[in-house]
Amino acid sequence: MSEWFGPLDSEHRVPPRQQTRVAAFLISAHGALARQFAFTLPIKFESAWQTELNAQIYREAEIISLLLRATSWVPDLSLAYMAASWETAWFPAPVEGIPDRTLAAAAGLATLSHAVHAGIRPAALLPVQANANDPFVTALRRVEFESGRLLQAQSQFLKGPGLLPFRGAVSATLERRHAEIGRLWAQALQGVGIAIPGTE
Amino acid sequence: MPFLSHGSYRIRYELDGPASGPTYVLVNGLTQYAELWAAYRDALIARQFRVATFDLLGQGTSDKPALFINQDDQVAALGLLIGELGDGPIFLSGISFGGLIALRYAIAHGARLSGLVPMSCFAELSPQLLLLGNAMRTGLILGGTSYLQDLLLPMNLSDQWLKPLLDKLDGVKRQGWLVNDVYALQNLMESFLDFEPLTPQLSSIGVPTMILNGEFDFLTPRALHETLRVQIPDSSLVIIPRAYHAFTLEKPALTADLLARFAEDVLAGRWQGNKAVWIAPEEAGGELAPFPSGYDHLRAIPMPGTNP
Repeated sequence: MSEWFGPLDSEHRVPPRQQTRVAAFLISAHGALARQFAFTLPIKFESAWQTELNAQIYREAEIISLLLRATSWVPDLSLAYMAASWETAWFPAPVEGIPDRTLAAAAGLATLSHAVHAGIRPAALLPVQANANDPFVTALRRVEFESGRLLQAQSQFLKGPGLLPFRGAVSATLERRHAEIGRLWAQALQGVGIAIPGTE
Repeated sequence: MPFLSHGSYRIRYELDGPASGPTYVLVNGLTQYAELWAAYRDALIARQFRVATFDLLGQGTSDKPALFINQDDQVAALGLLIGELGDGPIFLSGISFGGLIALRYAIAHGARLSGLVPMSCFAELSPQLLLLGNAMRTGLILGGTSYLQDLLLPMNLSDQWLKPLLDKLDGVKRQGWLVNDVYALQNLMESFLDFEPLTPQLSSIGVPTMILNGEFDFLTPRALHETLRVQIPDSSLVIIPRAYHAFTLEKPALTADLLARFAEDVLAGRWQGNKAVWIAPEEAGGELAPFPSGYDHLRAIPMPGTNP
């Protein structure tokens, strides 16, 4: 087990098996976010925050498109059952304790999105020697960088005045989501020889 | 790796040195992590101190609350650590954000301390500091941790320190980038959104206090340290020559020596704060010099002023 991708090949590229596992996880997570954002948005916008959500759909789609093209894919039999557990974890889960069902659902989606964008740091797995000109390396850096920006919409919404009366419920759900998604991410990496410190 | 529990959160800490000795507790700055005190651990242990370091909530290996980090929780975490240290003398020091947490602890629980050393510190947000903080938060949001580091390095460290590292800065930044998460740093910064100045409470700090301020500290300049000197009764201000905000990184030998000497003076009954202003030596072991009489220590040019 290592904290980093590797061993790198002679051109300092990440092994295809690790690329496949990581890209599959990220595509599953960001794909779920894109789908759920799309279903959440009405045909006609009614609030200012919906413009940000609209932008997020396309950013998530861009992440998926990027990973599909930048990854060196190889067969990974474990993906069949792993993907099923991932997709189950992304199911919409409204925040309990918020009586307004629309708000509870939006908050639930925001906790999922916060956990994915804040808690999953694929570029932090790259060793110093990783080839900076390799498309997969560049893609991971871009995904992590973009996630930091995408996070802001969820952060503002979850900290905002609309959810202030439900701060306890929102914080508890968010911490649970972070832990759950962190666990899935760690499990996915473990199968390809990578251990995130503190999760072994 | 030992942890303390604060509610559902875990706080990672480390204790080194003789259990019978007086203890120095060192509190990280905003973007720091406990390993950055390694040189202090070695130097202070050699002087028979025990050294306690830890990662604040939101930092390093401690838990990172996802949405909010309250400064009261940081003070409570520090209190938990100090609670582990037994009944011996405790000296508390922190840099920048960590200095602020140390000040808050001293205000609330000063009786437990034998001495306090705020470094590159502040008790209130001046307009400059407020706007710089806002700009750094925006930088973090738009450019990530790496961009925040790019802003802080030239602001807080000298040319002498930076020059030999110019072509290795990615390596210098890497560990900080790895251990810091954007959302956690942002939460730490946003713990200032409801910040109330500590200035009215500083006079309640009864312990000997040595305030350390870099000569060229741009982020928290002399005037912010002056508030501490004027308000804390048994204090003195020590100016570190040619130093910027992050002098604990740049001058560990000198700073650790000053910390040790301060504690030794307090324990030997030699310490006299007198709200005096001193100039630290250039190197560890040198003599402190009183700020020249008749000049204003708040100015960058030698102007006549009231002798503090």
